[in-house]
Amino acid sequence: MRNLFRDAVVIARRDFLSIVATPTFLLFLLAPLFMLGLGVVSGTGAASVATNSVGKMRLLAIVGQGDAAKLRAVDAELRQLYRLEDMPPRLEIMAPNGKGAAQADTIIAESESEVRAVLSGSLATPRIRFVPPSDRHARYLAALAEGALASGPKVSADIAAVSAPLPSSSARQASGFGAVFGIFFLTLLLAGQSVGMLAEEKSNKVIEILAAAVRLESVFLGKLVGMFGVALVFVGFWALMALAAAQLLPSNPLVSGFAPAVGLVPFLILCALYFTMAYMLLGAVFLGVGAQASSMREIQMLSLPITIFQVGMFGLSSAAAGNPGSSIATFAQCFPFSSPFAMAAKGATDPAIGPHLIALAWQGLWVAITIFIAARLFRFGVLRSGGGWRALFGLRPALDTGASSPGY
Amino acid sequence: MTTSEAVPVRAEALVKRYGQFRAVDGVSLSVPQGSIYGVLGPNGAGKTTTLRMLLGIIDPDSGSRSLLGSSRPRDMSHRVGYLPEERGLYPGMKAKEAIAFMGALRGLSWAEGRKRGAEMLEEAGLSRAIDAKIRKLSKGMAQLVQLLGSIVHRPELIVLDEPFSGLDPVNQNHLEQLILAERARGATILFSTHVMGHAERMCDALSIIAGGQVRFEGSVDDARSSLPMRANYEPCSGGDAVARLLPPDAEHVGDRWRFTVPADGPEKLVMALVQAGHGIAGLTIERPSLHEAFVKLVGETADLRGETL
Repeated sequence: MRNLFRDAVVIARRDFLSIVATPTFLLFLLAPLFMLGLGVVSGTGAASVATNSVGKMRLLAIVGQGDAAKLRAVDAELRQLYRLEDMPPRLEIMAPNGKGAAQADTIIAESESEVRAVLSGSLATPRIRFVPPSDRHARYLAALAEGALASGPKVSADIAAVSAPLPSSSARQASGFGAVFGIFFLTLLLAGQSVGMLAEEKSNKVIEILAAAVRLESVFLGKLVGMFGVALVFVGFWALMALAAAQLLPSNPLVSGFAPAVGLVPFLILCALYFTMAYMLLGAVFLGVGAQASSMREIQMLSLPITIFQVGMFGLSSAAAGNPGSSIATFAQCFPFSSPFAMAAKGATDPAIGPHLIALAWQGLWVAITIFIAARLFRFGVLRSGGGWRALFGLRPALDTGASSPGY
Repeated sequence: MTTSEAVPVRAEALVKRYGQFRAVDGVSLSVPQGSIYGVLGPNGAGKTTTLRMLLGIIDPDSGSRSLLGSSRPRDMSHRVGYLPEERGLYPGMKAKEAIAFMGALRGLSWAEGRKRGAEMLEEAGLSRAIDAKIRKLSKGMAQLVQLLGSIVHRPELIVLDEPFSGLDPVNQNHLEQLILAERARGATILFSTHVMGHAERMCDALSIIAGGQVRFEGSVDDARSSLPMRANYEPCSGGDAVARLLPPDAEHVGDRWRFTVPADGPEKLVMALVQAGHGIAGLTIERPSLHEAFVKLVGETADLRGETL
């Protein structure tokens, strides 16, 4: 086993340097600049998620029936002054239950309530609590109270943020979708390239040297690791660019609402691990399939089914992100090739860490299985090794039982 | 060969089929330790397939094999050097790096591989190629780099598949010297070829494969001895009457007669010729060459399988 990994490192080192130390790599590294179109598409998707999230938000006024009618009337008037994108969340009215401020505090503390700000007490001295950063929504509620008492006493509002705002379920789902999309986008860009990674060795006959010197599993693992190293350089470069750009941008409510259930740092670590697993899993499949191709034309032909396969995994995982706890989410989390995406989404909505450890082990097992099968298929199909299907999966009875020669 | 001798490579009844075609059909051979062993055969005889099975690149359909005492050849790969028939190097690599890479695949550290690679290239008279990329080298130079890469880790067993093909006579001679030097170091060398001259000069033992089967295994002398000796006889006189005393296959070529020496030796025949008054103006007895033995051993089978000599 030690030899397997050491040999894999030899292959990976060669592959990594042979790719990174070329001018072509610069083109590859800067390729995202040519993919702004895709960025626009993904931006539209993200905006859709954000819109859905905003659509679920609401403001709440806990007032009696008489005040309710006044507030509704003022709300209807004031809303006409706002542009659509600046429109406050919809106003809901709730009758007091006699518990006073406790009623408002309970509602706003519920993460599932989607209430961004709540008004309680009298309109003259309203008590307004809001979830940061919804301070403008709190001021809107105060304005409603003033409007409702236009001819009455001056309003003296008590406005304060709730101390420990909890992210809403929709914000978490949005975080999950973001993770799924991010990992999908990176694997779409990077993992598909593994399909042609053995073409070089096959065309220049180096494969015979590799096959004679090391186990094919080492060759496949080494190629994947080498290419993954290239992917890390790519991701690292663009992550730094994105961080630098983020410093220049004003605070974005969508970003500030990024609130995964496991916590931000653990979530980012999980995303990194799941990206690794997604790359290795899909990369191993593509590498294995591509290794069977006998020409560049065949490899090019394979790019379409590969893309479809990736999009399929993305679709499945997106459904899982949108329906946490559902049977489709469970399936996506268990199915090896969608598991990294779906589990990243789970990290956004479920605080438990244990399932992630199990999932990572499960995915690692499938990486090994995929590499094993790919290497066996290559040996069986391309190198034309014998022994039938039993030998293909290592089930063949020992043929090589020749006695050891004396002296060795 | 006795069983007490160390046998780095042993094959017993190896069979390899591609569909209905039996590329290797029950090959058995034993390579003595420290020897230069040739696997001879026409193109398509099954030499390369046999070597690939011995090295564990492919598995046989049946039969057994043993490499450096192990029935799992791939476990021994760090003690084996291999030059495949189809040469392969990464064209973007420097010669020194290519050698180091091949050494690293066999367990040598990169640093040591580079150091040895540079030394070996210098010794081979290729100092200027040390930092040259493979794509800049001539075919012969690249082939030499690959050979050096296959022995940089100082293996106990070196397997060379058609090592001389594509080389000019100067490089062929250089390669012969390299192989002899490796044998002197203590390595066992197993190589395939269909060029008899190299085998005749270098091999301690050989097997001749044709039709996927071993037709002969033994020393070069044994192979040559498998055919009867030939005589060139020039009588002092006698004209065509001489023919009555000579073996049936005697041919009259100019003043001489060529014929196969009888199985019991030439003495009785010489006595008979002298007593009949034909005298002996000249008589030479030649052992057949390896080439002749090879052609005799494999010719008919090669024709049947479409192999080319």
